[in-house]
Amino acid sequence: MTDTIDSATTTAATSDEPMVVLEEVDKWFGRFQALKHITLRVGRQEVVVIIGPSGSGKSTLIRCINRLEEHDSGRVVVDGIELGNDLRRIGEVRREVGMVFQSFNLFPHLTVLENIMLGPRRVRRFPQRKAEQVAREMLERVQIPEQAHKYPGQLSGGQQQRVAIARALAMQPKIMLFDEPTSALDPEMIAEVLDVMKDLARSGMTMIVVTHEMGFAREVADRVMFMADGEVVEVGTPQHFFENPTEDRTKLFLSQIL
Amino acid sequence: MEPLLDVPNFAATSEPLPIPSPEPSGRPEVRLTPRQWVRQNLFATPFGSLLTIVFGLALAYATYRLAWFVLVSSNWEIVRRNLRLFMIGRFPFDEVWRLWASLYVVAGLGGLLSGATVASAEQLALAAGREVTRPGRWDWLRRYWPALMAVGVILSQTRTWTPTLLTLAGIALLAASRWLGRQAPGLARFVWLGLLVGVIVVVQLIAGPGGVGWDDWGGLHLTLFVTVAGIALSFPLGVLVALGRRSSLPALRWMNVGFIELIRGVPLVTLLFLGHYVIPLFFPNTFQPPSPLARALIVITLFESAYVAETVRGGLQSIPRGQYEAAQALGLAPWKVTRLIVLPQALRAVIPAMVGQFISLFKDTSLLQIIGFVELLEVSENVISQPTFLGQRLHTVTFGFAALIYWAGAYTMSRESRRLEHRLGLGLGGRR
Amino acid sequence: MPEVEERQSRKVLALLFNVRILRIVGQLVAIGVLLGVAVYLSDNYQANTRQSTRTGWSFLDEPTGFNIAYSDFRAGQPVRDALWVGIRNTAASAVVGMVLAVTIGVVVGVLRLSRSWVARKAATIYVELLRNVPVLLIILFTAAWLRTLPRIESARSIGSVAVVSNRELAMMSPVAGDNFGVYALVLAVAAAAALGLATWRTRVSDRTGEPHHRVLWGGGVFLLVAVASYLVLDSPLTWSHPKTGDASIAGGASLDIGYVALTGALAIYHGSHIAEIVRGSIQSVPYGQTEAATAIGLSDFQRLRFVTLPQAFRVAVPPTINQCLSLTKNTSLGIAVAYSDVSSLGFRLIGSSRAPALQMIVILMVIYLVFSLTTSLLLNMVNRRLQLVER
Repeated sequence: MTDTIDSATTTAATSDEPMVVLEEVDKWFGRFQALKHITLRVGRQEVVVIIGPSGSGKSTLIRCINRLEEHDSGRVVVDGIELGNDLRRIGEVRREVGMVFQSFNLFPHLTVLENIMLGPRRVRRFPQRKAEQVAREMLERVQIPEQAHKYPGQLSGGQQQRVAIARALAMQPKIMLFDEPTSALDPEMIAEVLDVMKDLARSGMTMIVVTHEMGFAREVADRVMFMADGEVVEVGTPQHFFENPTEDRTKLFLSQIL
Repeated sequence: MEPLLDVPNFAATSEPLPIPSPEPSGRPEVRLTPRQWVRQNLFATPFGSLLTIVFGLALAYATYRLAWFVLVSSNWEIVRRNLRLFMIGRFPFDEVWRLWASLYVVAGLGGLLSGATVASAEQLALAAGREVTRPGRWDWLRRYWPALMAVGVILSQTRTWTPTLLTLAGIALLAASRWLGRQAPGLARFVWLGLLVGVIVVVQLIAGPGGVGWDDWGGLHLTLFVTVAGIALSFPLGVLVALGRRSSLPALRWMNVGFIELIRGVPLVTLLFLGHYVIPLFFPNTFQPPSPLARALIVITLFESAYVAETVRGGLQSIPRGQYEAAQALGLAPWKVTRLIVLPQALRAVIPAMVGQFISLFKDTSLLQIIGFVELLEVSENVISQPTFLGQRLHTVTFGFAALIYWAGAYTMSRESRRLEHRLGLGLGGRR
Repeated sequence: MPEVEERQSRKVLALLFNVRILRIVGQLVAIGVLLGVAVYLSDNYQANTRQSTRTGWSFLDEPTGFNIAYSDFRAGQPVRDALWVGIRNTAASAVVGMVLAVTIGVVVGVLRLSRSWVARKAATIYVELLRNVPVLLIILFTAAWLRTLPRIESARSIGSVAVVSNRELAMMSPVAGDNFGVYALVLAVAAAAALGLATWRTRVSDRTGEPHHRVLWGGGVFLLVAVASYLVLDSPLTWSHPKTGDASIAGGASLDIGYVALTGALAIYHGSHIAEIVRGSIQSVPYGQTEAATAIGLSDFQRLRFVTLPQAFRVAVPPTINQCLSLTKNTSLGIAVAYSDVSSLGFRLIGSSRAPALQMIVILMVIYLVFSLTTSLLLNMVNRRLQLVER
């Protein structure tokens, strides 16, 4: 198993220093072990898609990368910064890492524009005008510039998720994490969100995506990683992964969902 | 536009997938080691540690003072001597058997009805395919400890064993009839009827031929009677007012809005005085005007029904339009739609809020002391100025004793309602 | 012939079952019943009060026959004026009570969510203890406790800051000195300057992005000016210290026991209810909001300031205003501790036959209704402004 990981890492890394390094990461919830010795390297501009049955630890894994969850042992290094108990480092990492949630988590009391400006204005300390300019650019990028002054509650699910992506992008992150971004959406809205994500991948953003959208994985991912029971079961290129998976668990999972 | 569909191997991903669902949001329950617990719950941050120390000291001091007061410094003689006043006011001693008898009626009826209610709720839950967790063996202790403690404290102040034995018999009767009630879930339909019948039987038993007129009642007995009678009378009236409030007839609706806003905008004391001074003037002089307690009950019923109406209205509003439409589509007449479809759901949804309302009624009965009734609170204020105890600063003891009784009643009820809300998934905000 | 009859009866039936007609008839019946009851009751009332000398509203201009303690009101003054004194007293208790209750509520409510288990438990005990006891019991207990303080003849001073006795409590209070007018002017100017400074800092921050520190700048300047001019103007404000005399307390600001017991008890009782509101409203903000705020890198303080509190506030405002309303209504319990709020004065007037009961109670009800209805009107307006916009 470690074999597959190593070979995949060497083929996919595009720069000397990987963007994200996880080494032997463990995470416990009480007596339940959610992550078991996870090791993963994500290179610059690489897109990694994580799939697996529910409860397999996918979300926990990416939440450890910006420390929404605290890992119990092992190392998490993001862009050369190791996550520990140092508050300043945690802040630094969070500034570099954008995150998109399954349930959007937009701030309902702020307008779309204010939602996007909050981070640049308060964390990056941009001037008002620049923050607004950035926010508008991001709205252009996710193709809903006309919704700037509405409240999140007035938008459709797909639009809300695109605002959430814009909000994360406005921080000018080096890496984007997506935690099942389309699971809460109606079918007809999934495509609009996926389109935005594909654009983003093409522009060279480093991305880690937890999703059940196999089409997306096949089209965009550099590597696909399959997790079950808190372990990495198999990692490989989409081609390897979907056409001749080696592990039995992977085969079973794929046969169930395809 | 949809490149996903071009890939032959994959099913259209826009179909909901059967296996992978969003990760469960509830975390597995975290069990911490004692050291972790201490670190997370006592000394997580510097400010948290400060709070822990400050409040730890304050709590320790308060506990010490309380223990000192209860065990050493307080003199409970005043409660022991006046226990009968606290419990039943100036009720003649020769007639006390009537009170015990009515207590047994209440215990029997209460056990029967509550047992039936629980059993029918369980039946419903089972029919709906939900799991029913039977309470554990010591659950009753965890649930009723405040009330049991209050009863224990009261009994500890008695001078003979008779009251204790009679109380134990009452508790046994309660348990037995509750068991009986559980065997007959069908009775649950008659709870309000049962309550009303209970009130009437009790009044007849105590105030009936040869008995003691209710204007001579007092103490805890009066407090409890007014509470229960207030509930039994204000509930149906409140439901009617709530229905009127939602009526499609503007005149009817505005009348009820006026009533609700008028009552809710005014303090209860003002209305009690209105009942005390003015209600007799509204009766024709050929007529014997109602007694003071009857007037107080009229006022409390009207007052409480306005609040019940607002609570019920919340429940009525929570019923989706589709329910009305479906019922109408079946061809039910409007009043049947209300009675068979809407009301049952609405009332179920507001049970917890209603219990909260009745808790405030229980506490509000203390206001009767302002218009001259000798209920529990008035007794505890009066006895301080008895010649034997004058000037001994015994207000802490007497008010403490009364507070314990009020607190035990209100706290037990509020915990039960929270438990019900939790268990049945009730409450307006509960279903999400 | 039978055909015609049948047609006619069908017409009648159609009229009888016409929804519109039924609705009108129903409403007429309801109005009729209401009017009928009203007429019947008022007939009885008039019959019952025919012999009484006190009818109508003339009693408002007649003397009350009693002095009002702790006020300048004397027995010869008319009922009308006594009611004004009562309204002012009710307001004094209600306003101070609300401020205290909200303060207690916010502090205790936040403590119930504290990181410290001990603080959480302490706050829980406070809430569960006080919420489940009648408010009148708390009022009476506080009053009884205050009456165990030393008699006024032997009142005790605490430093020269306060004097306590079982009739009055007195605290030292500020008194205008010689240059007070000038000082007030200077303070007003300083406040305006501080406000200007804060606005300027906000603008700078918007332009450059650097932190504004507007509270620091504005507050600092104001404090500086306040202290400097206080020194320059040679104590424009002085303190009046309460002193014990025989059977009275001189100087300072004194409060009577009834007021303290009523206001204090209402504050701690309603404070416990508001604490539950505060806790619930903070908990009602979904955890995802916290996560999202953390993920874009906001600090703990920024997260509270920009994300959690604004949302919790919306949830908390309506029920808190309801608590304030109910606190105001509960000031009518002043009668139990001989505090001269408007209803206790009203009841006293009824009791001493200086005012007819019905009229007096109607006046009281109107006073409370005006207050309640204005508040609920305001509440509805605020609510509409605060509601989250949704589709």
